[in-house]
Amino acid sequence: MTRRRAPGTPRSERVVKWVVSLPPALFLVVFFLVPSLIMVLASFRLPGEFGGLMPLRAADGSLDLSLDTYRFLFGDWIYGEILLKSLLVAGLTTALCLLLAYPLALLIALSPRRHRDFMVLLVVLPFAANFLIRIYAWILLLGPANVLYSPFAVIIGMVYVHLPFMILPLYTNLEKHDATLLEAAQDLGAPRWTRFWRVTWPLSLSGVWSGTALVFIPVLGMFAIPELLGGTGDILIGNLIKEQFLDNRDWPLGSSLSLMLTVMVLLLAGSAVLAGRRRRTLAKGAK
Amino acid sequence: MKRSVGLWVAALAVYAFLYVPLAVVVLFSFNDSDLNAEWVGFTTRWYVKLMTDDAMLEAAANSLFIAVASSTVATLLGAMAGIAMHRYRVRGLSFLVLTPVAMPEILLGVSLLLFFRQVLDLTLGMTSILVAHITFSIGFVAIIVRARMAGLDESLFEAARDLGATPWQTFRRVLLPLILPGLLAGYLMAFTLSIDDFVITFFTAGVGVTTLPLQIYSMIKVAVTPEVNAVSTLLMALTLTMIGLASRLAPETLRGKE
Amino acid sequence: MRRGIRTTLCVALLAFLPGLAGPGCSRTERPPEDVLYLYTWNNYISDETAARFEAQCGCKLKQDYYSDNEEMLAKLEAGAVGYDLLVPTGNAVDTLIRQDALRPLDKALLPHFGNLKPETLDRWFDPGNRYSVPYAFTITLIGYNVERLQELGLPTDTWALIFEPRYLEKIRGKVSVLNSQRELLAAAMIHLGYSVQSAEPAEWEAARDVILRAKPYWATFSNSTYIKDLAVGNLWVAHGYSCDMFRAREDAKDAGRPFHVGFTTPKEGAVLALDSFVLHKGGRRPDLAHKFIDFMLDGANAADVSNLIGAGNPNAVAQAAIRPEIADDPAIFPAPAMMSRMSMLRDFDPHVRRVLSRLWTEIKVR
Repeated sequence: MTRRRAPGTPRSERVVKWVVSLPPALFLVVFFLVPSLIMVLASFRLPGEFGGLMPLRAADGSLDLSLDTYRFLFGDWIYGEILLKSLLVAGLTTALCLLLAYPLALLIALSPRRHRDFMVLLVVLPFAANFLIRIYAWILLLGPANVLYSPFAVIIGMVYVHLPFMILPLYTNLEKHDATLLEAAQDLGAPRWTRFWRVTWPLSLSGVWSGTALVFIPVLGMFAIPELLGGTGDILIGNLIKEQFLDNRDWPLGSSLSLMLTVMVLLLAGSAVLAGRRRRTLAKGAK
Repeated sequence: MKRSVGLWVAALAVYAFLYVPLAVVVLFSFNDSDLNAEWVGFTTRWYVKLMTDDAMLEAAANSLFIAVASSTVATLLGAMAGIAMHRYRVRGLSFLVLTPVAMPEILLGVSLLLFFRQVLDLTLGMTSILVAHITFSIGFVAIIVRARMAGLDESLFEAARDLGATPWQTFRRVLLPLILPGLLAGYLMAFTLSIDDFVITFFTAGVGVTTLPLQIYSMIKVAVTPEVNAVSTLLMALTLTMIGLASRLAPETLRGKE
Repeated sequence: MRRGIRTTLCVALLAFLPGLAGPGCSRTERPPEDVLYLYTWNNYISDETAARFEAQCGCKLKQDYYSDNEEMLAKLEAGAVGYDLLVPTGNAVDTLIRQDALRPLDKALLPHFGNLKPETLDRWFDPGNRYSVPYAFTITLIGYNVERLQELGLPTDTWALIFEPRYLEKIRGKVSVLNSQRELLAAAMIHLGYSVQSAEPAEWEAARDVILRAKPYWATFSNSTYIKDLAVGNLWVAHGYSCDMFRAREDAKDAGRPFHVGFTTPKEGAVLALDSFVLHKGGRRPDLAHKFIDFMLDGANAADVSNLIGAGNPNAVAQAAIRPEIADDPAIFPAPAMMSRMSMLRDFDPHVRRVLSRLWTEIKVR
């Protein structure tokens, strides 16, 4: 990605480098990195009597840090259960999005070039409605149908809100496919499904992976959809985190739960990157 | 592969899935019923009520101000980051820029809340919302600008340098015009993200500063009035206009959002 | 050529957009003059009353809403600074006082203070009422669809209705309970005959078990949407606040629904919440806040609290102006015999809070 740094880079070029990279880097260090570290620190502190946190330094001046929250967190299975459940909901949402998105993305990619932009626009347009409005729409629809406040309603809401994130990367990928490959397969007598599974699908995998990442990760942290559409059992880790800060006044617990979510996301993202790298090397090897 | 009937049916079903709920919202915004349980009759009174709803109008003004201000700053910082990521090997910059984009929103909201309260002891309000919005927008702008940079022919810059242009001249005369569509796309992206954001604003908003999404949330959660349908319909119309405008000005904005 | 035009347009757009927001920006940046910020329960002050106050004082009243005390305390802790007035329940008043978050009242600015019933003053959470002025009281009880429950032959005056499977199986999926750790656990404790302030972990665990057994029959946890769902007919039974049930009853009546909404205090007893006005230290306009409190202490305005909102009234002068069907409703003004079975909630320390929060999480997840 980084090219072009001729050995004799003039001094002015180095100045430009810092002028360009320092402001955004500083901003993000202050407002992203530091807050994240504060969160890590907060998870080792004690909840204040009325909420918030106990003072960092105890009366005798020593640092008042403890593993209490983690002992509480890992003390039993309940919090792990919620994480597991969140992963399950995210997985199911992703799978359903893929199932719904693929035919549409494929159809758009196979359409005459002049129609494609319009068809993509039709996918993006519902985005014009605010996220909450799109959820509210389902309250209106599902209320009379008697399925509001159920896991089913939560999944529908999740799929609805995240579907375009699956369609767009899939389409971007499918659009680039070389039609001659399919023609060749057809000439060789491969039936339609074989052509799909042996040619189109494997070539579209990178699109599938980016779509998966774009759907799976946001769903993992979602709290508004379970809150507005869900029933008595539909609480995910996002709801639990929100509750610790905005209801229960237990910031250390909220922080440690957030940390758990962060670790989970980093693991997932990391493995996706690794998988992508491996696939690329394999592809290169095949060439 | 020919486009089969099955594919068409599946695709149309997905389009219907995308549009039917929103159509219901629009329809119900004209429903003459306080409870909105079933269709009663046609009315425009919810729109009239909306126009005199001070809280809603103020929330709209706040949202607009926050979106404009935060996306302006985010475009500036994001463009710098995008250029830097493409051109220079700055240790850790990609990580700093891309991680906030990849993280679930709630994490950024919660950590900023802790930061504002514990470290800065800041009264939450306009400033905290602005900072939060800039933070989550930078990455998106940077990605778009970097993509634009990647599509440029590097020899142009070398030519400019060989002809004796200073870095500033190269920037002003060569780079800026070339990445302008990227900047505009980034700006629009940041604007849309900001005006639409609920989760992060939810954690960083204080007293007296309400944004439209927060107002809508409290309408849905607390007092369910049909006014919500009217706001939603108007907002959709507004965003549609914006998208129409954007597609006229910079068609590439709508493509390859990722 | 065309490129040039497009570029110009882009720049114009970029320059134009901030200009567009100009008026909005200057509006929001203006220092808040004559605005009273009130943080209160949803559905607790009628629009008519609020408008009358604004007209009388020549200022603006801005309200934000919460749906339980825990949420209000947490929001304040999370940096919601700038509210002049809050309307917490006794236990939260107590917490706020201990937190040193309140401004003492200036009784000289409250000439109507004498209108209050003596029995609502000088309570445990604020001896001598140095900080709090009682505003209204509500009972956490059960609201229901009168016709439906008659048809099904179900009792409406007992917590068993929302906790015992033998009743619940007839109304599966038509019940909502409060999404409030304190209120729901308290209801289960009362159902079991325990104190809502119990220090026995085993009793809390028993309450959890009762809730977990009943949960599959409930549709949802809801703090405010049950008003609409009862009035529309989506729900038949809801655990909630008396004034919300009152609102649901009126809404159903106004919309001409083919059924009635009723509400009754369970005979085992219930949680009574006495909510008071207090001045938050973060507020900038204690003058307006006192004005508002005194306005609400005036007999005619205080009567609105019962007539329009359906809440119990601590104001003696207002009592005469309250419509008889409301004044005589035992689910709004409990009879003396019932009063002894009412409990008020008190706040817990962080340790117990964490234990209850753990139980609550289990309730939500299992």
